[in-house]
Amino acid sequence: MIDRLTAALRRSRAAYTEIRVERTWSTAVTVRGRRLDAATASEDQGGCVRALHRSGGWGVASFTSLERLEAMVTRADELSRAVRVDPPIRLADVAPHQAEALLELDGDVRGIPLAAKQQLIAAYNDTMLAVSNRVVDTLATYHDEVSEYWYVNSEGTILHQLRPEVTLSGTAVARRDGTIEKGLESIGLRRGWHSVQDKAAGFRAAAERAVQLLDAPTVRGGTYPVVLDPELAGVFIHEAFGHLSEADFVYENPPARAMMTLGRRFGKPVLNVGDNGAAPGLRGTLPFDDEGTPTQDTALIREGVLVGRLHSRETAATLGERPTGNARALSFRHAPIVRMTNTYIGNGRGTLEDLIQDIPLGVYACGAFGGQTLLENFSFTAAYGHMIRDGRVAELVKDVVLAGNLVQTLDRIDHIAGDFRWNEMGGGCGKGGQSPLPVTEGAPHVRIEAALVGGEVAA
Amino acid sequence: MIEQLLDVARRRADGGADGLWRRVERTSVAFEWGRLKAAAVTEETGANLRVCHGGRVGVAGTTAAEAAADALVERALASAALGEPLDLGFPPATPLPPLTTFFAPAAEASLDTLIRLGAGLLERLARDGCRVNVAIERETAETNVANTAGAAGRYRSTAVAVSAEVWRIAGDDVLVLGDAFEGADLPGEETLARIVDAIDDRLTRALTIVTPPEGTLPVIFTPPGLEALLLPVTQGLSGKAVLQGISPLGGQVGETVFDPRFSVTDDPLLAGRAASRPLDDECVPSHVTRLVECGVVRQFIYDLETAARAKTRSTGHGRRRVFGKPVPAYTNLVLGEVARGERGRDQRWGELGGGLVRDVTDGLLVDELIGVGQGNVIGGAFSHPVALAYRIERGEITGRVKDAAVAGNAYELWKRVGGFGTDARWTSGRYAPSVRLDGVSVARR
Repeated sequence: MIDRLTAALRRSRAAYTEIRVERTWSTAVTVRGRRLDAATASEDQGGCVRALHRSGGWGVASFTSLERLEAMVTRADELSRAVRVDPPIRLADVAPHQAEALLELDGDVRGIPLAAKQQLIAAYNDTMLAVSNRVVDTLATYHDEVSEYWYVNSEGTILHQLRPEVTLSGTAVARRDGTIEKGLESIGLRRGWHSVQDKAAGFRAAAERAVQLLDAPTVRGGTYPVVLDPELAGVFIHEAFGHLSEADFVYENPPARAMMTLGRRFGKPVLNVGDNGAAPGLRGTLPFDDEGTPTQDTALIREGVLVGRLHSRETAATLGERPTGNARALSFRHAPIVRMTNTYIGNGRGTLEDLIQDIPLGVYACGAFGGQTLLENFSFTAAYGHMIRDGRVAELVKDVVLAGNLVQTLDRIDHIAGDFRWNEMGGGCGKGGQSPLPVTEGAPHVRIEAALVGGEVAA
Repeated sequence: MIEQLLDVARRRADGGADGLWRRVERTSVAFEWGRLKAAAVTEETGANLRVCHGGRVGVAGTTAAEAAADALVERALASAALGEPLDLGFPPATPLPPLTTFFAPAAEASLDTLIRLGAGLLERLARDGCRVNVAIERETAETNVANTAGAAGRYRSTAVAVSAEVWRIAGDDVLVLGDAFEGADLPGEETLARIVDAIDDRLTRALTIVTPPEGTLPVIFTPPGLEALLLPVTQGLSGKAVLQGISPLGGQVGETVFDPRFSVTDDPLLAGRAASRPLDDECVPSHVTRLVECGVVRQFIYDLETAARAKTRSTGHGRRRVFGKPVPAYTNLVLGEVARGERGRDQRWGELGGGLVRDVTDGLLVDELIGVGQGNVIGGAFSHPVALAYRIERGEITGRVKDAAVAGNAYELWKRVGGFGTDARWTSGRYAPSVRLDGVSVARR
């Protein structure tokens, strides 16, 4: 394959050309309620050529038929020439790498029969159904894939990678009359079959939570001191800050650049934030990004001060900074864009108890149903919450939606515990029509002095 | 390809098979931060096959165009071996409704034409202190769907998407607003002018920032702002949710659940819409489905599998991709009672709020919310911060509000509608006017 790709590269007359080819074997088993919804095995393959002429724009050609490889190199070349860009696009230097980066498959999922995968997820699903007859519906999904990946560029980089991925997810829906609540469990790793054994406890907890939420009151809307559990704190830092640190937001946008000037204080000295694409075994982990740049641990906020951002080769060149290995493509169907990998809030000190002991009335927000950011404004939905009363975790509450302004909220983080953990959840991130890209987040418990919690408000 | 697949499947599967083969070519141009940056093409071919064997159903998909039919059939049979018993009847051959899905101007537009289209829009949206992103995408597709019961459909289609986004960053205030066109043909001059006008109007009104109101108030949701209110309803009207027992609308057919002026129709036969098609992806001919009529729940949407499980007929809402099995999905949703002839083309979008603003003494106009689709959507409860919203005081928009959130229950709010605007328009796959809903919780921080 590599010989074929390097030969095809030579057809391009562009200043820079790269070719990615992927072949992905995947299986998916979905169980809904008491029955199997579907068990399928799929094979997806294709490639993507990107070409860049001096004073041209990006020409991108993606395809599913490998027979079209040579024609698509020519097409990308033509497209680049058809787009005039002034000033020209420049790429930051990255030393050429030749690597066989075959990640540990941890029990190659391709060797496991579909029936065994079905049995595994059906057992987890049964765990949820067994919790209560209030659990009226469940959805449990097993998904795995192994991608074989080839990458060459005209600067001499040649990569061959094997990328495994396995995810489990469970949704339990509890219902009583018109009240419907749900609990979620999600596990996602860049590993294999061994890593998803003995996971019933999380599925059981999700179903129990859905049932408990039937009796929980909706949180009363208002501004509270809020403590985020590590899962939600991770989603928060991804949504509220991570997207702003992606350099494609600022690199050709002077007012955005002014807002994100390195050296600007974004938080109190307790706050440290980074993105680590090289952390072992996590969903966002890869040895090289989709431009052939090695991944790394990039500090974004150090002791409250903005110190870095996430780059592709193009954004790094424009800003005169170094590439960070964050140019990622969802698949061969897309060109790489600046994305997060494994984003985290660094460890602080102390425990959850230390964070809540001096809060007379507050909200302990746990788990994540999802999050969205519109740059300065974000919203994230906790899976559930508890009121904090007189320094203690009190009653369960539901519909906990946190909304806020990034700059204000980061600055209101006043206490970070020392109980860091990676989320290791499935799901992923969406940007520019490329979703879901595997990412994960990590954080300890985090306290925000004051945040708006949505919910019913008194008339 | 599809005939060959079905030939093999017919010999191997005792309960028949159906399949979809689709070839898509897409050309796109992207203008980033005010300048043309990239042009891209995509060529994608894939096949999805479903077999019934031993009373069980299996599916398999592939993009490996050279792959032998035998291998795909083999994988579908392996999937069926694990499947649940299901009596899936494949529809017989039926005459298809006439419908134009292929528009030559869109198909034949050159790269230069697409670049000029984007550059023109960019130029008209240029404003001091703002940055503009524009994306143009043109797709041509060939779809071939058939089953072993003799039904088949083959059609070519075109789709065009134009989107524009204006960014204004002043200090830490980030304002993003945009608009988009999606259709089966290139947009005309009038449509482009409306995109520019709509962005201009909202941008101008957003420059003044005012304090948000607070309390239980009348809120006008614009067509894009309605998403949070309509999502629970469309999820609840899916036969899949009804089967699962999680739809609050299950068992309510024939009941008045909504305001008597509230109607929802799904129409796959509208000319000029990219989602329109003569038959669905399971060979069921397209027809108009009345889901809610004058507040009364009439029908849920089904594909073949959910219909078989619910012991009813498919409503022609099967959608399938290359991978995975078909799922029920809407085509073109139409909210309210609009004369059919008018629906195909855009009406005047008119003023923001479609004439509803003047009757509101103290309230909010919501154009975009953050986080729609998160959480327990189907239950109807929602709570979202605003991404773009304006305060209404004494019948006039007085400025943009920030740092506010709206909450309520969609099912409760739709029981009494304060008014429908005159500004009905397409927003992605939905045709709707602005709607005034009373009694929405508005919180500020």
